[in-house]
Amino acid sequence: MKLAFQLAYRNLIGAGLRTWLNVIVLSFAFIIIIFFNALLQGWNNQAKEDGIDWDYGYGHILNENYDPYNAFSIQDGHNLIPETIDNAIPILIQQGSIYPEGRMVSVLLKGIETDQNVLKIPTEKFKHSTANIPAIIGKQMADATKLAIGDEVILRWRDKNGAYDASNITIIDIFNTTVTSVDAGQIWLPLEKLWNMTNLHNHATMFVSNNEYQVKPLVNWEFVTQKALLKDIEDIIATESIGSAVMYLVFLLIALLAIFDTQVLSIFKRQKAIGTYVALGMTPSKVVSLFTIEGTMHSIFSIVVGCIYGMPIFLYLNQSGIKMPEFAGDMAIGLDKAIFPVYDPLIIGLTIIFLILASAIVSYLPARKIAKMNPVLALKGKLQ
Amino acid sequence: MIKFLLKGILRDRSRSILPIIITALGVGLTVLLSGYLKGAFGDIIDQNARFETGHVKVMTQAYAENKDQVPNDLALLNVSEWMDTLRADYPQMQWIQRIKFGGLIDVPNAEGNTRAQGPATGMALDLFSGKSGENKRMNLEASLVTGTIPKDSGNAIIGHDFSEKLNLNLGDEITLFGSTMNGSMTFKTFIISGTIRFGTSAMDKGALIIDISDAQLMLDMDNATGEILGYLKSGVYEESETSSVAASFNDSYKQFTDEFSPEMLTLREQNNLASLLDYADVMSALFIFIFVLAMSIVLWNTGLLGGLRRYQEFGIRLALGESKANIYWSMVMEAVLIGVIGSILGTIIGLGITYYMQVVGIDISSYLDNSSMIMPSVLRAKITPSLFYIGFIPGVLAMVFGTMLAGIGIYKRETANLFSELEV
Amino acid sequence: MIKFTHIFTLLLCTSFVVQLTKISQKLTAKEIIEKVDDNMSSDTQITESDMVIHGKRNSRTITSKTYIRGKHDSYTEYLAPAREEGTKMLKLDDRLWIYSPSTDRSIQLSGHMLRQSVMGSDLSYEDMMEDRELTDIYNAEIVSEEEIDGRNTWKLELIAKVNDASYHKRMIWVDTERFVPLKEELFAKSGQLLKETIMSNITKIDGRWYPKKMNYKDMLKSGKGTDFIVKSIEFNAEIAAHIFTKGSLRKS
Repeated sequence: MKLAFQLAYRNLIGAGLRTWLNVIVLSFAFIIIIFFNALLQGWNNQAKEDGIDWDYGYGHILNENYDPYNAFSIQDGHNLIPETIDNAIPILIQQGSIYPEGRMVSVLLKGIETDQNVLKIPTEKFKHSTANIPAIIGKQMADATKLAIGDEVILRWRDKNGAYDASNITIIDIFNTTVTSVDAGQIWLPLEKLWNMTNLHNHATMFVSNNEYQVKPLVNWEFVTQKALLKDIEDIIATESIGSAVMYLVFLLIALLAIFDTQVLSIFKRQKAIGTYVALGMTPSKVVSLFTIEGTMHSIFSIVVGCIYGMPIFLYLNQSGIKMPEFAGDMAIGLDKAIFPVYDPLIIGLTIIFLILASAIVSYLPARKIAKMNPVLALKGKLQ
Repeated sequence: MIKFLLKGILRDRSRSILPIIITALGVGLTVLLSGYLKGAFGDIIDQNARFETGHVKVMTQAYAENKDQVPNDLALLNVSEWMDTLRADYPQMQWIQRIKFGGLIDVPNAEGNTRAQGPATGMALDLFSGKSGENKRMNLEASLVTGTIPKDSGNAIIGHDFSEKLNLNLGDEITLFGSTMNGSMTFKTFIISGTIRFGTSAMDKGALIIDISDAQLMLDMDNATGEILGYLKSGVYEESETSSVAASFNDSYKQFTDEFSPEMLTLREQNNLASLLDYADVMSALFIFIFVLAMSIVLWNTGLLGGLRRYQEFGIRLALGESKANIYWSMVMEAVLIGVIGSILGTIIGLGITYYMQVVGIDISSYLDNSSMIMPSVLRAKITPSLFYIGFIPGVLAMVFGTMLAGIGIYKRETANLFSELEV
Repeated sequence: MIKFTHIFTLLLCTSFVVQLTKISQKLTAKEIIEKVDDNMSSDTQITESDMVIHGKRNSRTITSKTYIRGKHDSYTEYLAPAREEGTKMLKLDDRLWIYSPSTDRSIQLSGHMLRQSVMGSDLSYEDMMEDRELTDIYNAEIVSEEEIDGRNTWKLELIAKVNDASYHKRMIWVDTERFVPLKEELFAKSGQLLKETIMSNITKIDGRWYPKKMNYKDMLKSGKGTDFIVKSIEFNAEIAAHIFTKGSLRKS
């Protein structure tokens, strides 16, 4: 067997340019598959991380009367902050209306602690603001309402007894996020302020927990796991993954076509050599395996070559990330400005195994013909 | 000469079949992958187009300005005239109406008193005419969890989780309470004909889908609609086509002095999709480039090998006195012929499969846990004009280049060596 | 629409019991309100009115007939346009039902729904449900005397004394002779002006001075607001008791 490998190696190296062409094509396929997978994985992670950073944290703790998908539940869906809760930041949600240019726009008012560090909402900006009611909004909200930093807009809300109140709020910051669930139709205010505005002191609608939060049963509150919150994103990624698998397959087919092509021709060209092998006492099956190994070795070479030029590229991209244009569609797809590819050893391992197996098969198929050859004719180099 | 070569190619199958098959396969794969990439990178856009933006969308300017508020009071009036105009002026597109609305769903008990209530996000689609393609476009049939798509007035489908929350069963009656485009109160009873799950919590927990005629009746929007969406009949978004349609429409009908005159926005101009479109273009172009490069190497290799395997033949021809240039020339011409034949075949095969992938697609819903229906669960390719020629780059150019390279060997050969090579 | 009827009962408290010839200048703000209140309310009241909604692109007129019994019960039936015809609204104390003839169903609005806006206006059902006496909710004070459209008025400032008043402060201009409000402004806790009501076309009906036209406007929104025009009004008429039962919410 060792001999077979040595022979195969020599034959390949001896074939020179032809071998390297095949190897390069195959290595392209290899690199593309790994890279694209890493990109997708990176995107996946990015979308999840964005979701976690901006909205989900390590799970939400919702008031039992609050249903995030039912705006009517906001009115009663809050309660006093339980004393036993820690490692979670409270958020109070109330409804209000703003009137940019005389149009009434319904908004959700979200009160958040100014010194929280669980979510990326730039709440520290509140500390430096001298505005009567400082407010932070997302870019999507800013675009929809045509509000800019420094703008004042009148906000009308109701306190806990239903009494109307209205005042100007000042937009002190606009954040840019891909997570629309903290952006569209929402205004972030300091929690203390919202408490004062609504007279709902020490009330919260929900909590966002951090990674040290210990799940324990709380009366009137329900814990929603991070995993459940991330489900929508995971579903989208799953679709993307299957979609990209089709691309890998087509790409791989091309590379395999190259090997197949080479195999057919090299078997055709080297009939004399085959005849010689058989004449020297090799069984046809051994010759078949020799050729199969030779073909398969393309894939091993390609992996080595791919690593040689791929590694530096991968490492570089891993450092700098892949720049993405800024955009935020209506769909909750997080694509931040740069994606950092994530290389999954399992995927790489599987790709390598698949590549070797597939090339072994396409190498074996044409090589089968050898077994049926007449050694004498082959030795003479007669076309068969 | 060409005729002679062609005969040679056709009769000597050993020198034609394999290269042609490989060229055709390679070209076919190139075409297919390019089409697939175009489709794959377009799927987020496609999803937006199907659910939100259309390829173009016509709204009143006032509606467009406030579209996040679903301002049906600013809806487009005289819709049938506008539909006729659009159909006549831009027959290359399919025009459909949609109305979005909000409302309260009230579920009665046996005595007719309120048993449960919940706010609904309504969407009215053209389901009854049978010609709108909305069912397919919105993936409704596949997203149904129970029941059927509404076929008669007064039927509605509702988000599956929503139906569970309200404890609704198929055939149950609900009353939808909302306000008309004029702000008046309005009621309509619907029978639940099906429940649906798109895979986005917001829709699954609050969506109500009814036919547009019911919505127009209920919302007092007779001959009015919130949005008219236009889809290119090819089903695939074409930037240049849609922007020229939009430009010509806005030129003719948009009046800056009347905020209730219609305006047409392309997909690109909606939902911040411009940069996403650019991104998809760049990415697919990049991948197609790498792919064409790889394919070129493969086919170059084929050309090279094709030349190499015929050394014997060339040796004989040289021995018979044919000039090297002549052999070289005929060999290159042969490569061109093989390349062209292979590329034509490959392009036809590739386009065929791509077209199938565009129209039918690969249904991957069985691989998904039936939850992300809003994302395309059918993978689709996209036929673009470039697919008609892109295969010829690796198919002809690479092939010929490979053959030319291989043919250099002919010049290097010493006639003296020929006889040893002729030794059979 | 019922909401305006209620504002009428609320603000104007329709009953000019006696045509007051001379009013003592020593009246306190509270007494003035009570006078307006007492004088303008009647045991029952039947009003036919037009509501003119000035939308962004057109104006619409809705005609309705409202029956009011005491302070807490009211019943409204819509007469025109055809689309609204037969729609009914019944308020009994703090409960509110809406009936639609097309579906033959009545829906009770409760809790969160009551905070939603009525008919796309800026008035919530809750606003409309408010049926407490002004003097129970507010401490009143005469701020000044002002002239509006050639009429002498007291300018009253009402500050909420309970914490669940929708509007923390109201300014009401009351005609010093006719005891009819001519203008009202509603303020948020912060002092921000939210709404303005202007009464006009003060006519003598049935021995009472009554504003036959009222313009109601959300001051935060652009637009012309909504007009409420009384076409006919009947005081202390006999109203059958079954009107104020859920049974009346059926096809008639």
